[in-house]
Parts: sequence; structure tokens; C-alpha cells
Amino acid sequence: MMLLLKVLRIWKNEDINLDKAFKATLSADVYRIHSLPHGGPVVLFRGGGVRTLDVLLEAPQQEIENIISGEVIRWSGAFMEGQQPVLIFTTEKDEDFFVYIQKPKLSSLHKYKLEQQESAKPLCFTAHITNQTVTLLCLYSNDSVYEVLIPLQQDTEEKEEEEEILSKSLLLNLSVSGAVLKGTSLVVLDKDHVAVLGSLAIPGKEPRECLTIWNTKFQTLQTSKELPLGTSGQLWCYEEKFFLIHGKVLTVIMYKCETSSLAAAVGKLKDSQTPDVSSFVNWNTLEDEELVVSFQSQKSVALKAESRMNLRSRRSTVPEEQPKTLSVGELLLNLKDASTYVLETELKKLMAKAPTPDLQATIGYVVTALTDRCKKNPKYYPRNFLQEIAETRDLSYSLCPDLMAVALEKKDMHLLQICLERFPDIPEEVTYACLKTFLSMSEAHLQKIDVNLDSVICYIDVELDNKEFKTEIVENGFSAEMDQDMCDTKIPKENQSRSDGESCPVGLQKAALLNAILHSAYTETFLLPHLKNLPARQAILFLRYLYYLYVKCSEKVNTTLPGIRSPTINQIMDWMCLLLDAQFTVMVMLPEAKELLSNLHKFVRAQVRFYSQLNKIEGSLRELQRLNHLRESQTYSIEVLEII
Amino acid sequence: MVASGTGTQLAIGCEDGSVKIFQVVPGGIQFERNLDRRKGRVLCLSWHRSGTHIVAGSIDFFRVIDVASGQTVQRIMVNHQVEKAKRECVVWAIALLSSGTVVSADSFGRVQFWDWEQGTLAESHTVSTSAALSLAVSEKEDSIVVGTSTGATYQLQLLPVKLGGLEKCWVRTKPFQFHSHDVRAVAHSSTALISGGLDAQLVIRPLMEKVQKKGYDAVLRKFTFPHRRLVSCARKARLLLFQFSQYLELWRLGSTEETGKDGEVLPPCRMPEHLVQLKSKGPEHIYCSCVSPCGTWVGYSTASRFQLYRVRCDGDGVSLRKVPKVPKLLPPAYQLQFSADSESLFVASARGSVHVFQLLEPGGCKHLHTLQPPSGCSEAVYLLAPSADGHWLAAVSGDWAIHIYNLKCFQHHCVVPAYSCAVSALAIHPSTNNLVIAYSDQQLFEFSIPEKQYTSWSRAVQSRGLHRTWLERDSPITHITFNPKNPAHILLHDTYLLCILDKSLPLPDDSTLLMNQSTLKQLPETARKRQLHAFKICKKFQPLLFMDLLDENCLVVVERPIMDFKTQLPLAVQQKKFGT
Repeated sequence: MMLLLKVLRIWKNEDINLDKAFKATLSADVYRIHSLPHGGPVVLFRGGGVRTLDVLLEAPQQEIENIISGEVIRWSGAFMEGQQPVLIFTTEKDEDFFVYIQKPKLSSLHKYKLEQQESAKPLCFTAHITNQTVTLLCLYSNDSVYEVLIPLQQDTEEKEEEEEILSKSLLLNLSVSGAVLKGTSLVVLDKDHVAVLGSLAIPGKEPRECLTIWNTKFQTLQTSKELPLGTSGQLWCYEEKFFLIHGKVLTVIMYKCETSSLAAAVGKLKDSQTPDVSSFVNWNTLEDEELVVSFQSQKSVALKAESRMNLRSRRSTVPEEQPKTLSVGELLLNLKDASTYVLETELKKLMAKAPTPDLQATIGYVVTALTDRCKKNPKYYPRNFLQEIAETRDLSYSLCPDLMAVALEKKDMHLLQICLERFPDIPEEVTYACLKTFLSMSEAHLQKIDVNLDSVICYIDVELDNKEFKTEIVENGFSAEMDQDMCDTKIPKENQSRSDGESCPVGLQKAALLNAILHSAYTETFLLPHLKNLPARQAILFLRYLYYLYVKCSEKVNTTLPGIRSPTINQIMDWMCLLLDAQFTVMVMLPEAKELLSNLHKFVRAQVRFYSQLNKIEGSLRELQRLNHLRESQTYSIEVLEII
Repeated sequence: MVASGTGTQLAIGCEDGSVKIFQVVPGGIQFERNLDRRKGRVLCLSWHRSGTHIVAGSIDFFRVIDVASGQTVQRIMVNHQVEKAKRECVVWAIALLSSGTVVSADSFGRVQFWDWEQGTLAESHTVSTSAALSLAVSEKEDSIVVGTSTGATYQLQLLPVKLGGLEKCWVRTKPFQFHSHDVRAVAHSSTALISGGLDAQLVIRPLMEKVQKKGYDAVLRKFTFPHRRLVSCARKARLLLFQFSQYLELWRLGSTEETGKDGEVLPPCRMPEHLVQLKSKGPEHIYCSCVSPCGTWVGYSTASRFQLYRVRCDGDGVSLRKVPKVPKLLPPAYQLQFSADSESLFVASARGSVHVFQLLEPGGCKHLHTLQPPSGCSEAVYLLAPSADGHWLAAVSGDWAIHIYNLKCFQHHCVVPAYSCAVSALAIHPSTNNLVIAYSDQQLFEFSIPEKQYTSWSRAVQSRGLHRTWLERDSPITHITFNPKNPAHILLHDTYLLCILDKSLPLPDDSTLLMNQSTLKQLPETARKRQLHAFKICKKFQPLLFMDLLDENCLVVVERPIMDFKTQLPLAVQQKKFGT
């Protein structure tokens, strides 16, 4: 079917001769014909009038009313709501934008006015209908996407003369690390993903045209594809394929969206997705998502750590608990849309119940519900509530896989510290992410943060600029003089005293957080590849801190640090070895690491010598004890024993 | 040496690399044939459950032998993956699973799983930095216990890779360190791992997941001493005979004329005297020994020989003379016991029989009679108890039946009602002729021999039940004796306590303190009465090897401090205490 403003031509499917067409001349100019599945085509006229094709063909010359005056249609879309076709179009007049919703079969019409945005106007619209609500997404010229919700009204009594003003909310800001995307077209892919075609303007560089996919849940750029030949600025999307004009050709790009998860949003999924080579989106699981997500991640964790017996045994009890957890699941489903306050009080009530065998699972669901809400609502973050749960309950990573990710997102250091100290099954990937975050945080920022300092307070000298040498006799075979005796390189003395562990290289808060990392359980094989990615500067800082701890440990006879949850010498050594393994080539190359490594080497050598001497002494003492005992063994005595 | 699954054949691996098959016939074994001989000593063997194949471990390799043809069907080198290939790799233990998988434990501390038909290595687990010495497979073949030379044992389990998945692999699950030296032998029962080490300990470690309820089975057990009598005492002559593995030592006890208060050490007026050391000939260990109450006869037996000696003490000199023409015994004695009047010797023997020898002055011996249970018995007798009046003899055989014989007419008198536990000690009361029996589950019974029934006191004990602390003890009673001056007293001991059981006092119930001696000592005389109960327990001497009453107020106690023989052990694999 094709039309020329007022002339409607209709071809038949079977007849391929283009000259043979049915023509009808209409009384008004047509704006667009929309086709709808399970409903005939709908014709939108320039004046805002809407007719279904059947009605139009009965009387082609019928009069078409003019609804809009002086307004120009900018965009239109047609949808099926139940059995009713719904047509939505937007118009512009003097900087004002209006939205019309028409149901041609019921001849109902609603007109709304869009809330004005200062110094920006809509460039592109897209819409979809869910649950009797039209969600209209508008791409504005200020590089933002706004969301407008319009309820579909059932009443058909009268056309309201007074126009309602629609308020909009910011959905997405199209900016990536300083670069701004000047969007031209917008397409909705699924609940959490939109695609934007536009040009990416990086300051100081020529703008490049890009096709981008954004995650609205986490406000992140999922992926982008450069289109160097330029586009027409238009983007269409049908059946998981993008259609766009790239240079002089029509390009079709297949895309697939993963179920939105934080891991995917921050690019931590195993294989990062590109629009043309990717796996599929599971549209069916988008409802009740939280349960599915948590179960899936549990599985993946389990695969990673096959030898974790405790996990296995815990999971084996899950099937028995199913009927109970379902009811908890239902409760949480009901609370999904409840207000924050209601949610928290309900959850507290749920947790206060007498301990049941599935209490652990229940708390897991509670935390999952909270984290889901956090993810949906970026402003919502029940810091104290989450900390309280993590501190008082025996949670594990697999019970609430999103908790740490959310905490990382929100930079909740205290919660991360608690998790690292308490969870037995944190994936190495997450441990590494925490380590990296901790190391990269500035000391000044950390000083404002409240973390548990129990593990450091007993051994870190609070006055960092106290550079006095200790004059007491240092125990356990190590003293600064001894180290200097063996030092044959020409390193300035002051320099050395700073770096050989005399003062702590990190602040109290950072030390406490790093101690939490040292305490967490890990498997070397899985951690090593991540550690390789640690930036060199951070690696050196971490190594310096480990070296400091090692020296501190060795000062004591029993090689343990004072304090609660302070790291053990084995943990320190293991991490040191691991870090050196992962970063050795980098360390060798870096001039600033050279001195540290050489000091470390000397210190370890001194310790090894000392211990070998100790072992020799132990051997001698044992032999003495043995000789002593042989002499004493022939004993005989006569004693008085009274038994009452 | 390993018996086949059906128990009809015995395979013996030899130094020269051959494997010999013996047929097990009633009363012995019979050589059947030699299997394929290859260079390299055979260190370990394992039968396939079906009896079709034998796997033999040697140095650097093991081989699989087809029993029917006698041919070696596969020879697999085990030292391939080792960088230090110059060191030889000793296969210390091996097992052939019914699936055809060969499990080997070698001197590099590895436990390896091989598909012998393909000759491929399926899995390798390095359990220790030092040698893996022994291994045992559970009945279901889903769990393996490995003993290493550092004294650690490890459990490996066949677990599914995924929960509910079909694919399974072996995972090292539980490490245990109960020994200080080599773990030479391990066994895998359905509920426990059992390990025996060079440090002279036997450890039973229950698998908690297999034990349903808390009880005797659920507790870790360590055994240091054998549950048998290694010391015998000549009461009248005040001599002690100590049995060592290769020799006997006879000591005269010292004495004192002083008296003192509780806990005081009295100066001896006569020091103990080492009278004689008697070395057994040949490499065999001494199995049992005994000294007669008068102290003039000493007898011992090894696996093949029985010897009797006449001891003469004249003044300071001691002379020992072998009794000639001792009746030949085949097989030799399992237990020796002299009668109270030192005129006859009872020799516990195979098939439930007890030989009675008459001892003749000045140094002779004559076989008088052989006592046998009327219904016959396949097990050997391992405990004997003669009565003081020489009228009765109680004998316990391996099937735990207690037969009582009348020695006047050499006739079987009666059988004590059967009980479902091993007898650990028994003795006949000198005045009442009541037989006191201690079982390995810590139960105590008193059986009147003349009346052929349990005494009323025994029935009272059974209806009342023994104190829980008593029943939960670790080591069994190994010796029972009586106080001739006080017929109500029964003296018992195990490794950790000695106990005077006073039948005239009330039995303690679970709410009272069983070990109440120290409390009693703090109470004034008048208040003690109410606190007294039948079990008077002393834990002063540990570990206790032997206790006997010499006379009314003289008790001899033999302690064997663990450190004593620990220092004699070869050095354990040095494990560094310092440094990381």
C-alpha cells in the first residue's frame, strides 16, 4: 500500500504487477499509515484525524476532522491494547509539545501537554504499552532520555477540553566518561535496554557516529558500534535486528540482550557482548526476575568452586524447603512495589520470626529483595539495614549474590568489609574488585568513612611522621641494623627507613579494609588471573603494605599480630607470593619497585637464616631431652596410697 | 600377602619379584603355583574382587597379572611425571578396584588412579611431601584412606563433580594427624578410619557422617598398649616378670620398713633387684609369659616354641635352668597360667583346648590332661583363670564363650551364659569361688561357679546399671584380682585407672560423682560415710600396665610412661616448627 498525500493505492499480495493498483482519492492529506498485527491498518491524517482502513474505504471522500490546529506531527505510533488499536502521536507548536492518544474504534481522544524542559527540546520519541500504561520515551537535545507515563483512560464520555500536563522523569543520561552522545534516534529494546543512534562527541576529537545500547537499570553504556561512514540519523528495529543507513547501504545489525544484571552492566560477565555476535535475551524471565537471577548466580558460583563442601551440603537441603520459601517469595513479590518504609518494616518483621530451618534462605531472599530495589531505584540504599543484616546473620555470598555488587556500586566500604570478613564463599572476581576499589580510594576520602578498625588499631603507629628509630632490642632476629649490615646497595639512608616497613604505607581505614581482603577465602588459580590486571601503582602499594605487615609480624616471638581479626603470617605470606607471582614482570620493570623488592629479598633472607638456626637449636634440644630421659627412666618408688 | 576376595586363595609377593599362589585348605595352606616372575621386588599386592587379576606394586612400576594364565598383562611405570626421576619411586601400597581402576600410593606422596587396561593415568593427588605408605578402600569403593610417613592420614572420596551429576571424581577430603611417625597400616571400616603407626598407636577415627548417634562408635579412640597382660607377678616371692618382644626380665621388688601418710614417698630399705634377663632365641616375638606364684617357674611361648625354666635363688645368685623334655605343643600357647600352689601349669591352646601340665621337682614337667569344651570350638583360648583352691579353671576362647572345668575330675563343669562382647579379664574369687568377668563394653558380671548362675550382686548391678562415666571409659579392664583379707573387695585396672570395687557399699547412680576420692579426702571422717560408693578409683598412675595385690596392704603398680618408648623410637620425619 502506498499513498501520495491524498491518493491511496492498494496492491494485492498475489499480484506482482505494480501498475495494477486500486486507487482511492481522500479528502485530506495523510500523515502515515500504520499497520497493526491482528488489526487492520490505521491511517493518520495530517490534521490529526484517525481512521481505520476499512472505514476509510467504505467512503473515501468522507470528511476528516481537523483536531490539531497549527501543530505539526513529529512522531506517531500505533499499538494494540486488547482488541483496540491505539494511536499515539506527538505534535509541536511554538516550542510546546503535545501528545495525543486516539482509539479510532471508540473514537476517544485524549490530549496532553508535555512538561517543558529548559533549553532542550525533544528530538525523538518512542513508546510502548504495558499494563494499560503508555510509556513514552523522549530523546531530548540535552543528551538525556526522559520517560513519560500516560495512563490509558477507559472513559469515553467526553473529550476533555482542558489539556493535562504530563510530567517526565529522567531515565538516562547519555554521557560516558566525559564524552557526550548527541542522539538522533531512540529505540526501546526491552525493559532495561534502549538503543540510541547518535554521534559521540569527545572533547578535542571529531565526533563519530555510533550505535549504542544502554542499560537503563544501571545507567550504563552496554556496548557501542562505530559507524564511520555516517548515517541518516534514523534507526529502526524489528525482530531483534537494527536497520540503519550506513553510508550508502542499508545495514542490518542483529542484537541480543542479556537479562539485565549488575554484572552485565558493569561489564563483568564472562564474555562481553557485542551487538552482532551475542547470546540471546530471555524475554520470558523478565517477570519474577529476582528469584531467577539469584538461583542462576548460585549455580555459577557452585561451578566455580567445586570443592566447597559446605556449599554443596547447604544446597542439597534446598529442595526440601521449597514449599516454605515459595511463600516468602510470594510475600516479597507483593512487597515489590511497596514503599521503602513498608518494605523495610515488613522485612524486619519477617526476619524477627522464630528461627526456622529455612531462616537462612529467607534472609537471602530478603537481602535479594533489598538489592533488587536498590538496583531499580538508584537513590535507594538502606545502608544501616544491610549492614545490620550482614553483621548479625550468617549470610554467605551465594545466598545474596547481588549484595556485594550493590555495595561496590555504592562504595559502601563498611558493608564490604563485613562481607569479606564473614562470607565464606566470595568469588575471587569480587574479592579482586573489592581489593582494587580499596586500593584506589584516596586516603582523604577514606578518613571520612566509618570502618571497623579492630584489626589494625593494635599495631599501626597512628603518628605516621614519627620517624624515630626504635632503640629497644628487636625480638625474633630482625633488627634494622642487621638489615643495614647486609645492605650493599647504595640507597640513601632516609629513603630506606621510609620503605622498609618502619611506617605504614596506608592509612588506618585502608589498612583495615585490606586486612579484610587478606582474611577472605580464595583459590589461587582463580585469583591469579585477576591480580594480573591490578594497576602497577596499586600493586606496589599493596605489596608495600604486605611487607610492612610481614616486618611487624616478625617483630614478635610468636609471629602474630595483636588485635581482633588481624591477619596471620600465613595469610600475609600467601598474598605476598600471589601478588609477586601475578605482577612479577611489572615489578621488575618498575624503578620504584626495585628498592622495595630488594629490601623484601634481604629481609626474607635474614628470616630464613634465622629460622634455620632455630631449627638447628631445636634439634640439639630434642637430643638433650632424649638423653636426659634415658637417664631418668629407671625409677622406682614406694609410696603411700590411701583409698577411702 | 593378601587373600583373595573369596578367601580360598592366598597370594604372596616375594623379594625376587615372583608372586606365589597358595590354596587355602582346612588346617593350612598349600602351594598352588607361581605367577609370572619379573625383576624387582614385590612390595604390595591387591586382588580384584572377582579374583581374576592381581596387581603387584614394585619399585618404579606396578604390574597387573592375570591369575588364570599367570601372565603379566600390563606393566605401568609410575615415575614418569616426576622431574627428579633419578630418585626411585616406591609403590608402597596398591589397590585394584572392582571397576578396574588401580590405586597406587608411592614414595613421592602421590595417590594415583590408573586405568590399567589403557595404561593411562586418570587422576593424581599429591597428598604429602613425604611418602604415602598405606592405603585402604572402603567396602563401597567410594572412599580411600591413605597413611603417610609424616604420621598424617588422608581420606579421599569419590564425589560427584556437580550436585546430582553422574560424573564423579576423587577429592581429598579429610586430613588427620594422629601419629608422630609412619602410618604403616590403615583400614577402612564402614563407620571409621583405623590407622596404625610406628609410634605404637592404633587410632580409630569415626567418620561423623556415618555415625548416627553419639555413643561409643562416635568417639576417637587411641590405643597405645595391647589389651593383654604383659606383666606377671609372683605374689609370694614378690617377683615381677616383664614381657618384652624379644626377652623377659625378672625383677625382685624392693621393700621398706617405714610407714607414712597418704602421698608420702618412703625410703626403700631394700632396692629392687634385676634378677635375670632371658632372651628368646630366634627372631620370633614372645607371645605370652608367666611366672609362678612361688617364683620358681617361668614359662614363655613364641609363635613356634614353648619354653619352661626353673628359677633358683640362693643368696645373691640367681640361676636359671631350662626344663628339659617339655611336651611339644602344636600350635604353641596363647596364654600361660600357673596354679595358685605352683604345682601345675595351664596352657591355653587352639580349638578351645587347655593343656594341664604337672610340674615336678626338681625341674620336670608332665602332660596331665587336655581340657576341651564338650561341644567343640574352632577358636583358640586366650584367657585363663584358675581358682585359688585348685578346684576350678575358667577359660575364654575366641568365640567369647567362657567354659568352666572341674580340675579335680578334669571335667567340663558349665558354660557362663553367652554375652555379645569380648571378655577382657576374668578371675575367680579365692574364698567364694565366684567368677568375676569384665567385658570390653565395660560391663562387670559375677558368676557363682558352684551354683552355676549369676550372683545376686551381679543381678543387682545389671538391674541398676553401671555409672555412665564408667561405661564411657576408653580402655578395657585388663586385670582383676582380690583382697584375701576382705572378700567384698575386687581390684580392677585399665590403662588409666585402678579401682577397688567394694561390694558392701551402694552402687553410684549417674547423678553422683564416680571419681570421688579427692572429694572424700577433703571431707571430715564423719561426713564421708554418706558419700561412699562401691567404686573407689585412683587415677594417680598412668598409663597403667599392671597392678596386683601382694598382700593385705601392699599393691604393686607398673607404669609405662609414653615418653619412655617415644624416645626409643626412630626419629620421625622432621617437620619444621619454625618458619614458613
